[in-house]
Amino acid sequence: MLTQIGSILADGIMIGLIYAIAGVGLSLVLGIMGVVNVAHSAFIMLGSFFAFELFRRFGLDPIISFFLAFPVFLGAGVVVYRLLITRVETAAQTQGLVAMFGLMVLLESLGTIAWTTDTRVITVGYTNTSMVVGGVVLANVKLIAGALALLLIGAFWAFLRFTLMGRAIRAMGQNRSAAMSVGVNVRQLSAVMFGLGIACAGSAGVALGMVFPFSPNTQILWLAWAFLVVILGGLGNVANTLAAGLVVGLIQTAAAAFMPFDYVYLVLYVLLAVILVVRREGLSGATRRAI
Amino acid sequence: MLSIFFLGSGESRGWRRWIGVAFWLAVLVALVLYGLIGTRLFYLSTLGTVFMYIVLTQAWNILGGYGGYLNFGMATFFGTGAYASAILFHYFGLSPFLTAPLAGVAAAIAGLLIGIPTLRLRGAYFALVTMIITFAVQILVLNLPWTQGALGIYMQPTGLTPLGVERLFYFLFLGLAALVTALVYAIERSNMGWALVAIREDEDAAEIVGVKTIEVKWIANAIACFIAGVVGGLYAQRIMYLEPFGTFSFDISLNTVLMAVIGGAGAWQGPLIGAPVVLLVADTLRVTFTSEVNRAIFSIVVIVIALFVPGGVMGLIHRWRRKKRVEVNAAPEKN
Repeated sequence: MLTQIGSILADGIMIGLIYAIAGVGLSLVLGIMGVVNVAHSAFIMLGSFFAFELFRRFGLDPIISFFLAFPVFLGAGVVVYRLLITRVETAAQTQGLVAMFGLMVLLESLGTIAWTTDTRVITVGYTNTSMVVGGVVLANVKLIAGALALLLIGAFWAFLRFTLMGRAIRAMGQNRSAAMSVGVNVRQLSAVMFGLGIACAGSAGVALGMVFPFSPNTQILWLAWAFLVVILGGLGNVANTLAAGLVVGLIQTAAAAFMPFDYVYLVLYVLLAVILVVRREGLSGATRRAI
Repeated sequence: MLSIFFLGSGESRGWRRWIGVAFWLAVLVALVLYGLIGTRLFYLSTLGTVFMYIVLTQAWNILGGYGGYLNFGMATFFGTGAYASAILFHYFGLSPFLTAPLAGVAAAIAGLLIGIPTLRLRGAYFALVTMIITFAVQILVLNLPWTQGALGIYMQPTGLTPLGVERLFYFLFLGLAALVTALVYAIERSNMGWALVAIREDEDAAEIVGVKTIEVKWIANAIACFIAGVVGGLYAQRIMYLEPFGTFSFDISLNTVLMAVIGGAGAWQGPLIGAPVVLLVADTLRVTFTSEVNRAIFSIVVIVIALFVPGGVMGLIHRWRRKKRVEVNAAPEKN
């Protein structure tokens, strides 16, 4: 019994860490820039396939892909920002939503063209290994993915808290025009911020791909998870997002222990509805500004 | 903030407006005549599908086009309606032609369940939740005992010839399309229409001048879901076999958004233009491309429209007319 609880806790924490990085990019882009990035999970899917391709073609370990994905997706994010977001930033929110929806569909169909709708897994040497700590069985791959996620979140937290650029980004999130008037280059920082959000999605995709099977047309499930984490944790706050990810992970593993696997999703959707009813103020940062 | 993506309803006035209406009535008469004399199965069935999507897109248009609250999951409500009528047939032997209103009610209830928490909030909650909820409903349908999971539900054939069936649904969906278009036309000119446009343009201001924003959004969403449910119920009879993945297909959600955005969201003519354009182009492209390439092309079109052509085809027409009017007014002979 005790070991069962222990394994539920351990599993929940490891999975929760991965959910947290799936959500952190969405949360920051939404909280600081007010951009509702519905294409977030499409970038997560691309991240998984990035690791998949590197592993298949060059035998590159996903751990290395995790770090490689960050700069690659950062660049992609900046490009998307320059091409898309700058044009819809000052327009109505609906216009930006439609553009991002189009981007999501585009990425998903390109993914389907390149990799079909088959479900893929990345099987490396340590995929099916595990270690036993005090009677609790820990899958190595979840431990590694969880540790990478924690590392990324820690780095993000430190970046936003201690560096000048991180402070400027937070200032921009609090009051855009005030930040501009004290000399923050808002346009450039927005591009960096959006790029960082997408970079997080890419790296999260690698971590998810290590642990879960994935396919291009199920990417929207990850949007559901990321959105749940964002709503639970609030916007633009890395520490809260981490906590929310852990809560979601723990609820998922606890629910999975008592009911058939499919119903776990439903528990989380009910949770989503409950939070939406209770947390009325919700996406406050996003309502004040466009898209 | 002035949203230029969606159109206001202050279009052309006086006789010009009636020319537009007369044009669409002439199209309607021509389509009725074709339905009576046409014998090509392919044309009848393709046009029937076009009409079905016109109804769905018009329904989307009410809250999405006029109100600016985008529903990215029309398939949820469409599928709820389809399954409602299929279950009523399977267990009680009731024909979907009779139970279509009940299917609409079931979908409207689903719409309220999703709309009540999300539409109370501003911003993108509604769009995000409608986008991700289809999967939850799919899981539910796969696992509930009375929906028969992945096995699906068979409907009873109508006993008509294939041509007769297609003709029946041709007229059913044509009639519904005309009815719903008239409804949207009426809404556009009613207090509800103005309230929705006010919500889209500036929700705070709308609330200050006394618009009951939340209630208006709930009602608009319930109407839209009801219509989608009715269409779904009839679709169940047309397709004869329901299974979760085809009925709650993302394609349906995607198509409605595509058609509305390309035709022009927030104008009653938008779906009338968007649905045939998207479906006929898709059918033509399907000969040479796979459906994924097709989708990729349409998604690029949507991005381009969102960025550069606010209001879709109707937006272009409006701007062209307005420019012409300005030129006419500027000419000295006018006085």
